[in-house]
Amino acid sequence: MTPQILAIVMAVVLLVAVIVLLRSYVLPEKYAVLWLIAAVAAIVLSAWPGLLEAVSRFFGIASAINLLFVGAFFVMFLLLMQITLELARTRDELRRAVQRLALDVEKASRDNDN
Amino acid sequence: MRVLVAVPALNEAEVIGQVLKSLSAAHPLADVVIVDDGSRDATASIARAAGAHVVSHAINLGVGAAMGTAFKYAVRNGYDAVIQFDGDGQHRTEHIHELIEALDGADIVIGSRFAVGGSYKSSAARRSVQRLIAGVTSLFARTRLTDATSGFRIAGPRALAVFAEHYPVEWLGDTVESIVLATRQNLTVREIPVDMNERAGGVPSQSVFRATLYTARILFILGLSTIRSVPPSVRKARQRAIAEVAA
Repeated sequence: MTPQILAIVMAVVLLVAVIVLLRSYVLPEKYAVLWLIAAVAAIVLSAWPGLLEAVSRFFGIASAINLLFVGAFFVMFLLLMQITLELARTRDELRRAVQRLALDVEKASRDNDN
Repeated sequence: MRVLVAVPALNEAEVIGQVLKSLSAAHPLADVVIVDDGSRDATASIARAAGAHVVSHAINLGVGAAMGTAFKYAVRNGYDAVIQFDGDGQHRTEHIHELIEALDGADIVIGSRFAVGGSYKSSAARRSVQRLIAGVTSLFARTRLTDATSGFRIAGPRALAVFAEHYPVEWLGDTVESIVLATRQNLTVREIPVDMNERAGGVPSQSVFRATLYTARILFILGLSTIRSVPPSVRKARQRAIAEVAA
């Protein structure tokens, strides 16, 4: 088995996983676009190594594998940043919702006493 | 048939009083619920003072989630059908009775701005975008729809049961995706022509970039729904119903 086949199989597994998660309403559309693009890009790059070589030559990068590492690092950075921002927003919304609930429950119990 | 009018509203303090006043002429305000989707102005208190029921989201969740809340409210309070009616003054109350009447023989009736008989004015670009979306949605619904993104609609008893379990929440996708969801549950969808007012408040998005993004997003959601199965909550509800019949 050549390494290329292994790479293609892994990329296809990623794509299938994304589709299965989408299908069962676990993965929302909002994040699906990004993961679908990542999965398709992985398949294209693994099935067509010449593309990576050509892009590397265009940027003047001697070893194509370095472009892959830099590119993957950048994509991971963006994904992590998005998750961090979403987490911050979700925490903020949760705090507001709980505060609102606490105030409403207190008000309801006071109304019941009267 | 007990019909609930659900009004999703976000920061509509300026117009909500007027909307409810005109609504009261067509429908008793006791059977109207305002779903205040996290407004930061006086929308909720104005609506409550006018005599409507108000359900307030603690945070902004979007129109889809607001309608999801409305459907759950309807089931809880024993309603048979739910009319979605916008809080910005765009929809006309005189069509409410037509929607209810058209529910005879259909599960969902959509008030279409572009159907024959309507007189809605909009730019050519906007119209062709709407035509494209409606065309694709029509393929799913197996009936000709001219205005898939209209938020003026009624859901009958069978649709209500499905939507109370699951209603799409994605930004801008709820109107179109709910039609596909209903169709996949073998519910029938039809439309009637309606007129709409110019928006009383808020500015509709007109830029080419936003319109393109909007179209791409809706077409993506439509494409996605071809591979999607039944939402887990809807499937469970159906199994419960079958079990009840058997018991």
